[in-house]
Amino acid sequence: MAVHLAPDKLGELETAVALVQPGSMVALGGGLSARLPMALVRGLIRAGIGDLHVVGSAHSIDVDLLAAAGAISVCEESYVGYEQDHGLAPAFRRAAQEGSLEARESCCDTILTQLRAAEMGLSFLPVHGVKGTDIERLHPEYSRVTCPFTGHQYVAVPPLAPDAALIHAPIGDRQGNLHIKQPYVLDERFAVASAMTIATVDRIAPTDEVAAAGIVIPYYRVAAVVESPFGAHPSSSYPGYSYDRAHLASWVAAARTHEGAQDYLDRYVTGVDEDGYRRLIGGDRLEHLTGYGASDEAWMELFR
Amino acid sequence: MSYRAGLDELFVVELARTIRDAEVVFHGFGSPCATVAMHHAKRTHAPHALLIEGATYAVNPSPAFIAPSSNDHSLKRGSAYSMRFEEAFDMSVRGDMDLMFLSGIQIDPHGNTNVTAVGAMPNPKVKLGGGGGGCNMSATIGRLTLWTTNHRSGRCLVEECDFITDIGHRTPEGTRSELGYPGGGPDVLVTEMGVFDYPEGRARLRRLFPDVTLEEVTAATGFEFAVAPDLAPVQTPSRDQIDLVRAIDPLGVRRREFRPAELERSFSL
Repeated sequence: MAVHLAPDKLGELETAVALVQPGSMVALGGGLSARLPMALVRGLIRAGIGDLHVVGSAHSIDVDLLAAAGAISVCEESYVGYEQDHGLAPAFRRAAQEGSLEARESCCDTILTQLRAAEMGLSFLPVHGVKGTDIERLHPEYSRVTCPFTGHQYVAVPPLAPDAALIHAPIGDRQGNLHIKQPYVLDERFAVASAMTIATVDRIAPTDEVAAAGIVIPYYRVAAVVESPFGAHPSSSYPGYSYDRAHLASWVAAARTHEGAQDYLDRYVTGVDEDGYRRLIGGDRLEHLTGYGASDEAWMELFR
Repeated sequence: MSYRAGLDELFVVELARTIRDAEVVFHGFGSPCATVAMHHAKRTHAPHALLIEGATYAVNPSPAFIAPSSNDHSLKRGSAYSMRFEEAFDMSVRGDMDLMFLSGIQIDPHGNTNVTAVGAMPNPKVKLGGGGGGCNMSATIGRLTLWTTNHRSGRCLVEECDFITDIGHRTPEGTRSELGYPGGGPDVLVTEMGVFDYPEGRARLRRLFPDVTLEEVTAATGFEFAVAPDLAPVQTPSRDQIDLVRAIDPLGVRRREFRPAELERSFSL
């Protein structure tokens, strides 16, 4: 949990992802359809950085793409999928069933508690639930502890201190101050509990503008910042753009087979850089996703 | 004039009836029927409920439509305040939430739910999405409304879950009180066939949807269950209640929880 004090951390995506060592524990920011660190995920896959232990709450295509690329050894998320809309995550599911990935499923609140233990420098904290469930059995690192005051027995969980937190923000400055919109999900906790935060932003902005919008993650937690317009696509990065439901659907359809998933990776990830990715998605399509605010009808139209 | 309502519409009204006025109510992600139900209750019999909107954690929003993803910002519309993730989870585990909705791919007679895997972990037959926050929240929240739209398959209501993700009234390690869990556990289970309650911690059939028989429920249920002495059809909603469902969810996101055959069921009101 060192602090990061360089005055200018703005750099290239390739340099930023190279800070992630193979085999390290990586926290994925955002969640479900919002603010997933997709440019960083694509960058990790292009660089062939794998054997990752990913942690987080409820996630979707970020974990699914990494699973398709064979980059995950342990998945300690509370959920991976596309809710009722597109269902289970095909690549993640396949990897878990085949055993090429260990699904060490956790609970949002347990992850939160473990991050807080790391933030507070504690060797454990208790959680209210988990006891008696099969989630407990997936985690030999958990234990039981008896409260010295009440005698109540809790499940005790160790601190979770990721090697890197990958976070996407709509704006940030060159030093790494980041502004994000609610829901922050676990991003603030990740930024403190992790050894470093690697950030992408849709736009680099002057510090005054970021401060006026509200700094949610301060510069000293951030080791590198990359300007990556639409870097959360196909997830959303409000107030900039909505999520791309049609693109998510096309990925889920493609990923139903191993070959389909690899074709997607060839086309949208390893075959292009981020400029090329944006060209493939198309300027008109990206522009369309920014138009959600015109009216309720326009916003709803994006999801028809 | 003839007026017909779909099973999906009766279903969300039935879920809404489990919400009481002036209580704190939350649904997790991936819960379109529960989302619609919460807004329905807020606009009818539970105007003072404190409604926490899915994975946005927005307080009392009034969105123009229900988005297909539970943390889309459109669901925050009309909310003056959004809880932080920590605030919502702390509230639930210290026991200040009254009601949460939970579903399960498998649900056992004690109301334990499985959303982790079908077959044995670590390499199951089907790796499901996962439980989100339910593993802790189910221990402490005042009471739980369970729901499934997959009862008729015969694969959902099972004698024993392949994996217990969320706590019902009793696990192999003991009852809720033996485990020291303060929350009340499952109170109601609404399925596309009928409604169960949990007297003494075990599922009991209480209501049937008007086009379903007791024999059909028995055939679809993998455990023995008691039948309430006052077993009756689900109370039919009013036309206004159905119109409100349609107004809250113009995209019909709720319908994505149902198999096509269930969506063909309709009822004359």
